[in-house]
Amino acid sequence: MFKRRLQALEYEEYDKVDANNLQHVKKLVSWLENQKIRHYKIDDRGAILDIESQQWPATYEKYLEDVGCPQFETPLDKVEWLVGLAIRLEYEDNRDTYRSIKGTKKKSDQPIVKSTNPLDNLDFQSEDFKKGVSELAKLLNIPQHPNHLITLEACSKFICKRLNEEAVKNPGSVIVTGQPFPIMDTNAGFKIKDPFLNKAVTILSLLYIQDLRDLQTKINEAIVSVQSITADPKTDTKLGKVGT
Amino acid sequence: MVVRTFEEEMGYLEKTSEYSWRIKKGFQPNMKVEGVFYVNKNLERLLIEELRNSTRPGSVGGFLPGVKQIANVAALPGIVGKSVGLPDIHSGYGFAIGNMAAFDVSDPKAVVSPGGVGFDINCGVRLLRTNLFEKDVQPEQLAQSMFDHIPVGVGSKGIIPMTARDLEEALEMGMDWSLREGYVWAEDKEHCEEYGRMLDADPSKVSMRAKKRGLPQLGTLGAGNHYAEIQVVDEIFNKSAASKMGIEAKGQVCIMIHSGSRGFGHQVATDALLAMEKAMKKHNIEVNDRQLACAPINQSEGQDYLKSMAAAANFAWVNRSSMTFLTRQAFAKQFNMSPDDLDMHVIYDVSHNVAKVEQHMVDGRPKTLLVHRKGSTRAFPPHHPSIPVDYQLTGQPVLIGGTMGTCSYVLTGTEVGMNETFGSTCHGAGRSLSRAKSRRNLDYQGVLDKMKKMGIAIRIASPKLVMEEAPESYKSVDDVVNTCDAVGISKKCIKLRPIAVIKG
Repeated sequence: MFKRRLQALEYEEYDKVDANNLQHVKKLVSWLENQKIRHYKIDDRGAILDIESQQWPATYEKYLEDVGCPQFETPLDKVEWLVGLAIRLEYEDNRDTYRSIKGTKKKSDQPIVKSTNPLDNLDFQSEDFKKGVSELAKLLNIPQHPNHLITLEACSKFICKRLNEEAVKNPGSVIVTGQPFPIMDTNAGFKIKDPFLNKAVTILSLLYIQDLRDLQTKINEAIVSVQSITADPKTDTKLGKVGT
Repeated sequence: MVVRTFEEEMGYLEKTSEYSWRIKKGFQPNMKVEGVFYVNKNLERLLIEELRNSTRPGSVGGFLPGVKQIANVAALPGIVGKSVGLPDIHSGYGFAIGNMAAFDVSDPKAVVSPGGVGFDINCGVRLLRTNLFEKDVQPEQLAQSMFDHIPVGVGSKGIIPMTARDLEEALEMGMDWSLREGYVWAEDKEHCEEYGRMLDADPSKVSMRAKKRGLPQLGTLGAGNHYAEIQVVDEIFNKSAASKMGIEAKGQVCIMIHSGSRGFGHQVATDALLAMEKAMKKHNIEVNDRQLACAPINQSEGQDYLKSMAAAANFAWVNRSSMTFLTRQAFAKQFNMSPDDLDMHVIYDVSHNVAKVEQHMVDGRPKTLLVHRKGSTRAFPPHHPSIPVDYQLTGQPVLIGGTMGTCSYVLTGTEVGMNETFGSTCHGAGRSLSRAKSRRNLDYQGVLDKMKKMGIAIRIASPKLVMEEAPESYKSVDDVVNTCDAVGISKKCIKLRPIAVIKG
């Protein structure tokens, strides 16, 4: 997971670190503190560098607390965070050097985010992946677009809207029970001679109206949330007077 | 002025189709554009009769006939398109009530006229729906409950506590003030013309006198032709549009509130007329009728009026919103259910006395116009960006209040209206008898008995004035609406029948 970052830090055994192996962790952490993080003064580093000691795990926990590591469950997360810290410190030490580096290709302008999400490391263009998307779409009864990524987007929308926890529990809440409406008979606002184009324009105008509706609903929600702070309607019948 | 015989006058009028008449230039002096009015046979008779009476020797006093007023408006500087008379037209101060006139904002001579807006600025109609049906309600009880909640009548005072500072804020913020204070729902704003707030309102342009008159009157219905009615759906003409408005079947109960800016708007208009008379001398503007006092849109007098008018419009929206709040309370108490559970949503809220800056096509080019609608309702077609998203496919709902005891309508805006009348249609029945004439000819007890016979519960603050508002004093709203529908400037969607009325 952090192979490349360790490589960047010039850690010798960058490709062999296993965060679940205590020996590996000991070695890496002591190296990081000594070379990169340097949180303790040199004289105080004895305990964390003494990787043979029985007390090391406790020292490690104390160390994590001292450098401000949040509470993580797994040893992997802890190491991951320490490596991140080291990278940051390394960057700050040499900020000027790094700043002058400009990408040679346009693509590398964008920082390469090394994600821990395994999905991000998939090859989205592989045949295997395409086949998977196609099967998913068939399963969900969604028409397929020539670009499988768009098909995937449609699947994702469908799943988020119709198959989320709430919706599965209470399907009535999301299934629209409106009256059938002859959408093709609606007037798109302008007429085009070509019947196919006209159909497309009608659909687009309906989709546009739906977008507007979503926007208006959000506006209403914003108003309502402000009202929860400002609203205080009062009446005073003593003020009232019926005329003649 | 030349005196012409009736026959000579009629030479300037030309019937161009079953429902429309053209008023040629020359009918009144200096006409910049032609006039047009839309009438069916019955309404035509009334208008022509009015013109005939005015040509009789010795007839003096009162307003000019409606058709003459349309032509005088056509003579105002900067008018574009046509001076349009809607089917419910009847004479008013300067402009006839039921007259739409648009002025080109980019023309330095173009004017704004308070007479083209009316004294009751942003008088309008709001329609609430419920999920109740006729069989669920007791009209007598409901009428009493509404009467207990909403102060009505001349000199009535509201029950929502307001300080002078609250008023300033309300004038600036319109319905946003009601929202902030929690009197209305977020969805109410969505379903309101201009979203319930005219952004160029400037309370500092409003006189102290107007504010003093307005402060205690917020949240009151007022008198005259204003009312709150419990209505039931009598007929649905366009099922899918009605369903978009939450109206599903005959018998469904709705509440219509017809009110305006009370004394506040009246004072703003009065103040403005004085300022305009001075402005006319200063800018050398000549008009055919003193009542058409006006000022150039882009001069300080015109701008000041528009800013104070916008404040009065905001006042009217806060006023209708406050009454919406009181109505919801009345229903909640009566049915022991929350207004939410009663589905008491605002279907729409229209203004029929207002001037607004809008974009329209003139001779195939987009232009920015100041559209005066006096006794005329905006009726924008489907897909217009200024109408709520829910009505993008149906067209803007247009609320047409009938008179006491007669039906009301919901229409929808059309493309034809956009092209012919700058998106304007009728506003109601329109008077046929003057107030004084109604008082002389009708007996108030008779009017009340008639209501009773029709099964309409009525609560009224001043019964002795009820004959002014009797159906006999008005044109037939069915004639008016059917004419608009036939011309195509708006289409019928829902017909509503009253079961209970409260009035000033």
